[in-house]
Amino acid sequence: MAETQVLQNVLRDDHRLPRVPEPAVMVIFGASGDLTARKLVPALYDLASQRRLPMEFAVVGISRTALSHEEFRERLHDALKEQRPGRVSDDVWESFSSSLFYLPGDSKKPETYEQLQGFLKELDKERGTDGNRIFYLASSPSLVPTIVERLGEAGMSQEDGGYARLVVEKPFGRNLMSARELNGEIRRYFEETQIYRIDHYLGKDTVQNILALRFANGIFEPIWSQHYVDHVQITVAEDIGVGTRGAFYEEAGALRDIVQNHVMQVMCLTAMEPPVTFDAESVREEKVKVLKAVRPIPEDEVENYAVRGQYTRGWIFGEEVPGYREEEDVAPDSCTETYVALKLFVDNWRWAGTPIYIRAGKRLPKKVTEIAIQFRPTPHTPFTRGETLGLEPNILVIRIQPEEGISLKIGAKVPGSGFEISSVNMDLLYGTAFLEEAPDAYQRLLLDLMLGDPTLFIRADEAEYAWAILEPVMRSWSESKEVATYPAGTWGPEEAEVLLERDGRRWRRP
Amino acid sequence: MIEETRSSPGGRRMSVEQIEHELGRLRMNEDGTLSLRASVLNLIVVTDEDSAESVTRSVSNIAGLYPSRAIVLISDPEEGETNLEFQLSAFCSVRGGSSTHVCAEQITIHAEGPPAEHLETLAGPLLIPDLRVFLWYPGPFSPSSPEFAGMVTLADRIIIDSAAADDCELSLREIAELLDEPETPAVGDLQWVQLTPWRSLIAQLFNPPERAGVLERLSGIEILHAPDGECRALLFVGWLASSLGWSLEESIRTGNGREVRFSGPSGEISAEMSPTSPDARFRQVRLYSDDYGFEVARSRDLSEARTVVTRDGEVLAERTVHLGHFDLGVLLGEELSYRGRDGIYEKALRAAVAILEL
Repeated sequence: MAETQVLQNVLRDDHRLPRVPEPAVMVIFGASGDLTARKLVPALYDLASQRRLPMEFAVVGISRTALSHEEFRERLHDALKEQRPGRVSDDVWESFSSSLFYLPGDSKKPETYEQLQGFLKELDKERGTDGNRIFYLASSPSLVPTIVERLGEAGMSQEDGGYARLVVEKPFGRNLMSARELNGEIRRYFEETQIYRIDHYLGKDTVQNILALRFANGIFEPIWSQHYVDHVQITVAEDIGVGTRGAFYEEAGALRDIVQNHVMQVMCLTAMEPPVTFDAESVREEKVKVLKAVRPIPEDEVENYAVRGQYTRGWIFGEEVPGYREEEDVAPDSCTETYVALKLFVDNWRWAGTPIYIRAGKRLPKKVTEIAIQFRPTPHTPFTRGETLGLEPNILVIRIQPEEGISLKIGAKVPGSGFEISSVNMDLLYGTAFLEEAPDAYQRLLLDLMLGDPTLFIRADEAEYAWAILEPVMRSWSESKEVATYPAGTWGPEEAEVLLERDGRRWRRP
Repeated sequence: MIEETRSSPGGRRMSVEQIEHELGRLRMNEDGTLSLRASVLNLIVVTDEDSAESVTRSVSNIAGLYPSRAIVLISDPEEGETNLEFQLSAFCSVRGGSSTHVCAEQITIHAEGPPAEHLETLAGPLLIPDLRVFLWYPGPFSPSSPEFAGMVTLADRIIIDSAAADDCELSLREIAELLDEPETPAVGDLQWVQLTPWRSLIAQLFNPPERAGVLERLSGIEILHAPDGECRALLFVGWLASSLGWSLEESIRTGNGREVRFSGPSGEISAEMSPTSPDARFRQVRLYSDDYGFEVARSRDLSEARTVVTRDGEVLAERTVHLGHFDLGVLLGEELSYRGRDGIYEKALRAAVAILEL
């Protein structure tokens, strides 16, 4: 019998059956951390339970904490029960957990990788994982270059016996220079096609829906340009504070934590040209074109384009909350920004002269992510000024969360005699119509990763161009200790209002 | 999750305008604001009095994922006297921090006597324009039923459940004949949907390249099913035979079971179907070659399945997964999300019918 003969599994030629990835081992560095317990393993458990993982799959966790396989499994089981209360089956867990392994080791030391290689070979033999490897860097960002180097030196980035994929979590550097350095270090050992930079925001169905709305509906495309759009406002607001992440946030701030990645991605999806196909290169190429077209902010005029703010004590939804400087692990004289407002221009044929205003912050009145496209007024109105007093510009709002959908503000005649025009909001909650339970973003991204589809992952140049846009702002802010403040529960500092008022515009209330 | 069902008693004779007006009124909230109507499809259901309640429950269950205008037709053409009664409902929910209610609608029509033979004249004017129309028969279905010829003209997709028929063999034959008619829209079978997790699990067992080759060397299949599960077993065997290019040679009744012989690329394949499962219609599948064994079996509580691969009696791999949910709303939802004709199903069905006809 031809035992090694490779034949196609014809039973899978059915688009009704879910695609299941090839056998693989996922090696998680920093496996004793929060990300593994709270996001990665629950997402993998869900995938396994839903029959979306191959039988020949294993996870190997690595970190310095001394744990046995069994202790590692117990920890993850406890975390899973917290994450999925009442939804963890004992039998499924027992089956899934038999594929979880733990290797205590220092990721800086070469011997850890020798040990890992030996262990992976054993797994290939015992569990049929077929030489395919995913190296998930869930460890501290500072360890990324070392781990990549050790993997490379151990020959583990080579794809001779199966694929080798590297997953890097944000932040992708701290600025343009460090991002370039990081990308350079990673690419010494891994090809770009092997690298999956993960921004979980792109795994959200609601974010992907921006593409569906724009490119599956012919009615929007003709008006989606500077000819008809007066300006765009992108809002990513959170009502929570920094909580226990004070130490992390002190280093990051809103610009690095939210704007460089999530907001830039949303801007790209809003402004990009239609990709020819929905494959990774076409989509990412169009996103990069947007980032490249963003007009550089002159370093000596940053205050005309960017505002930073920090929340002070205030009230949110009936509850008094502390100011940023009162939070745990935050310096009492900290000037880290918890709020950012930016004015950007995408200098291309479609968007020339149309400002894109961005704001993102913590401790704002409510959690909301939305894109508002404000259209130009009609060139001429046959109605008198009195008749159109209640009329406001047309605004198309794409709400990403919490109530996913679109709303269009249009002018309509007020019923009754005379001809009074007023604005009416037409709401379409397509999210409410479809998404009773959207899959977890990590589930989607982990599956894409294993299937080798990088469409929803960040390419190196995307990360670098996003940093390049913010570079002048970061430099200018690093030289000043001044930061505007805003009471928690308000929509940001007064300076952010002024940023738009100077252009004769104002922020909309989400 | 549906939070509120709003109903209107309706009445005997209602015009289309009255129905639309009343549905609009149901969307009115207590504070005078109007809830939104969300609709992604039209769903026409032809059922009987006994099943009406469970059908309504399924329709309301899927309203969150597939908000629709559902037109539930409860017909009794054999009742001599003409009788028409209408009931209207809206399934409304609030989600995602919104203050806005979103409603799906159901129009229930009891039709007795002659109108029951012209159900398409009742359902047609009530359809929401420009949305796809699904025609669902949750109970026994026969293309020769008096209303079907008219109803099928409205439908983009017909959803039936071949397992609901008293004579499932006849049902499979009739569906196969229906599919041969060129003007028949796409047909979905809930019995086939119930096999999807099984097919997926079996197909996955052959994913490793070294095992894909075993598909050509399979020599036998054993299926354990309940006495009323033979048609499901036949569809499953039909799927394997049509996918793997097996030719049907012989079909023998063995007591209450059945044994079928095929010829494949590497010789004979025998399929044994045994009605010895006391509960689950489909309990266990085992495929084997000279050296390999592939088994998928439901757990005792039926919610999970254990898959095992053996070689020369030694276990190579095993795992336990959720088999999935099989309530009517879930099965229906699967069919509502499917587009176009399901060629794999049609081939499996024809192969199953061929076994019956040998």
